[in-house]
Amino acid sequence: MKKKQCIAMLLAGGQGSRLGKLTTNIAKPAVSFGGKYRIIDFGLSNCLSSGIDTVGILVQYKPLILNRYVGTGESWDMAVQDGGVHILPPYASETGGEWYEGTADAIYHNIDFIDMYEPENVLILSGDHIYKMDYNLMLTEHLENNADLTVSVIEVPWEEASRFGIMSTDDEGRITKFAEKPKKPDSNLASMGIYIFKWKVLRKALLDDHDDEKSSHDFGKDVIPKMLAEKKKLFVYRFQGYWRDVGTVKSYYDSQMDLMDDMEHINVFTKDQKVYSNSNFYPPQFIGPKANISDSLICNGCTVYGTVSHSILGSGAIVGDGSVVEDSIVLPNAKIGRNCKVKNAIINEGYETEDNAEIGDPDGEVAVFGRAKLSI
Amino acid sequence: MKTIGLISANYSSSEFGELLENRSLASLPYGGRYRLIDFALSNMSNSGITTVGVIAPYDSGSLIDHIGIGSPWSLGRKSGGLFVMPGSAYGLQSMGSRFLLRDLIKSKRFFERDDADYVILASSTDVWNIDFGPVISQHEESGSPITMIYKKVPKGEDYYGFFLDIDEEGKVKSINTEGYAWSNYFADCFIVDREYMLDFMSWYETLEYMDMVQIIRDNMDTMDIDTYEFKGYLGKIKNPVDFIKVNQDMTDYDIRNEVFCNSERPIFTKAQDEAPVFHDKDADVRNSLISAGCRIEGKVENSIIFRSVNVGKGAVIKNSVIMMHGEVGAGAVLNNVIADKYVSITDGVKIYGTKDAPVVLGKDKKI
Repeated sequence: MKKKQCIAMLLAGGQGSRLGKLTTNIAKPAVSFGGKYRIIDFGLSNCLSSGIDTVGILVQYKPLILNRYVGTGESWDMAVQDGGVHILPPYASETGGEWYEGTADAIYHNIDFIDMYEPENVLILSGDHIYKMDYNLMLTEHLENNADLTVSVIEVPWEEASRFGIMSTDDEGRITKFAEKPKKPDSNLASMGIYIFKWKVLRKALLDDHDDEKSSHDFGKDVIPKMLAEKKKLFVYRFQGYWRDVGTVKSYYDSQMDLMDDMEHINVFTKDQKVYSNSNFYPPQFIGPKANISDSLICNGCTVYGTVSHSILGSGAIVGDGSVVEDSIVLPNAKIGRNCKVKNAIINEGYETEDNAEIGDPDGEVAVFGRAKLSI
Repeated sequence: MKTIGLISANYSSSEFGELLENRSLASLPYGGRYRLIDFALSNMSNSGITTVGVIAPYDSGSLIDHIGIGSPWSLGRKSGGLFVMPGSAYGLQSMGSRFLLRDLIKSKRFFERDDADYVILASSTDVWNIDFGPVISQHEESGSPITMIYKKVPKGEDYYGFFLDIDEEGKVKSINTEGYAWSNYFADCFIVDREYMLDFMSWYETLEYMDMVQIIRDNMDTMDIDTYEFKGYLGKIKNPVDFIKVNQDMTDYDIRNEVFCNSERPIFTKAQDEAPVFHDKDADVRNSLISAGCRIEGKVENSIIFRSVNVGKGAVIKNSVIMMHGEVGAGAVLNNVIADKYVSITDGVKIYGTKDAPVVLGKDKKI
């Protein structure tokens, strides 16, 4: 088998508890996004468009939908002989079983997996970010700098910098300081949680970290600060473009609305760096004789009899006669009955409302309604 | 009982003009994101048939491009799977004929190498969603070597093909080309004992230039043929007028539910990744099917829009079928038009066909 220049490890085990009802029974990376996608599509599609064909997906929290959705990876052209996607849950060993204790610990437990591919570099990704990125550009800089670690960063407004992990650099882009959520930031370069490590260096760092009893086994909190202290060669890669961490219901809602309202910056319609998904088995949408749709994204499989404005209808969603859906996101296979009023609401996957229901606070914050119904 | 399937796609028609210039009828785009052969393939796959042969048409490029190794229909398999077999040079042009004996004989190996009890032979161009399970059970009980599937159609309807005269026991008495006195319309689909099929091919080898159904018709008195009534929707497309109508049938709630929204028997097709449809603030879509990747800024009524079509501001599309990657400019008006892939209509251009004579715009045409 050919040795790999770079393989990706995608962290998909977190609960994403701030997404509330959205993650009650679905892992955050598998939460529906933009009607026909799931959040993980962005990371996997970026891998595809960057020529990375080997991806380990680290799962832990409620992975059933995620596992099924990823399947063989065929949807992202990863059903290949000498690579592909690999779902990597925690597993038992001679000394018993352990959960993944942190991001670095999850990779630590899969050292043998990475060794099978003998990669020069390992790309660490989060399964919960919305962005389009060519990892090759980052890898090229990483190789040119002969870096031990390259951290992808994005400029954020100064006033928001204290919400992020902030990197300070010298003129060459070498990291001089790393501060997690600093009160007084001295840089506005925020870490995107995307790392490329030289595998040899990371391997050793993970073994050291595992033996360190004080460590919380997290890349941002433990591994990277330690590497910095050891004067390893750490560089930033400056990413320019749209990038969102959809950690809260508000950011989850806003970034989906951006698919319509901010097409200049995040465009799922363009052919370059296309976003692929495993949801392409629905018939075309049917728009009824009295339906009225404006300024909305509607997916295959939808049936619309009512009025929909400035909203997103996920695959297979139904809006009944006389209903009005405004400024809302109806997740896949949810059904809005007849004569309902839905505003500022996110209707959970597969949830069915009663007829005449009034959902959402017309003047308030966006909220999630219903429990997701798992189905295939 | 084990059943294999054979789909005949080696027939064409001259009535479609440019639509079939470089493709077979089997691979004609339909229903917003499908090709006609998807129905035959999905029906087999959904009925648990895992070995399916396709007799390819002479002009097979677009068909082979579409079906590939059969993965969308779960036919990309190690045991069984999809077998594409070349048809003979010119295939069948006469409407109504579907099963050229010569093609079946050429594919004899397909019948020989399997140990299945039955073979379902099906046409590749009908729009329907059928569970072959009950057909197989009935066939098994009947003891007849052949069971033909038919649908009762109202008298006087403009159907073409074969009609079955059936006795009280459900056996075929005769096969006719006109349906004036009866209305048991043959659905171009039947189930045959595999070994009987092999015998049939050697008995009638000298008639290889004929359609298998014609041979059965001419030898009716020596044959025991059972029938199975299909009660669902059956869409037959023999010309562009039917093409628009059978497409529009899918805007009917009951028909669409039966054909496309049966969760136990979905219609599969080759996956294309397209974004959701964006309906602009001025979009006005009524009673239509719209497929992924479209951007709609105009008015669409009683029409079928395939994937990645852009409908410009103020454009009006009525009673039309616009295939993938179409561009309909601002203010353009289309009524009773069939536009093939990549057709581009300049701003403000108006094209009117009629219900009985729709305008057909060939692939890549710019107007």
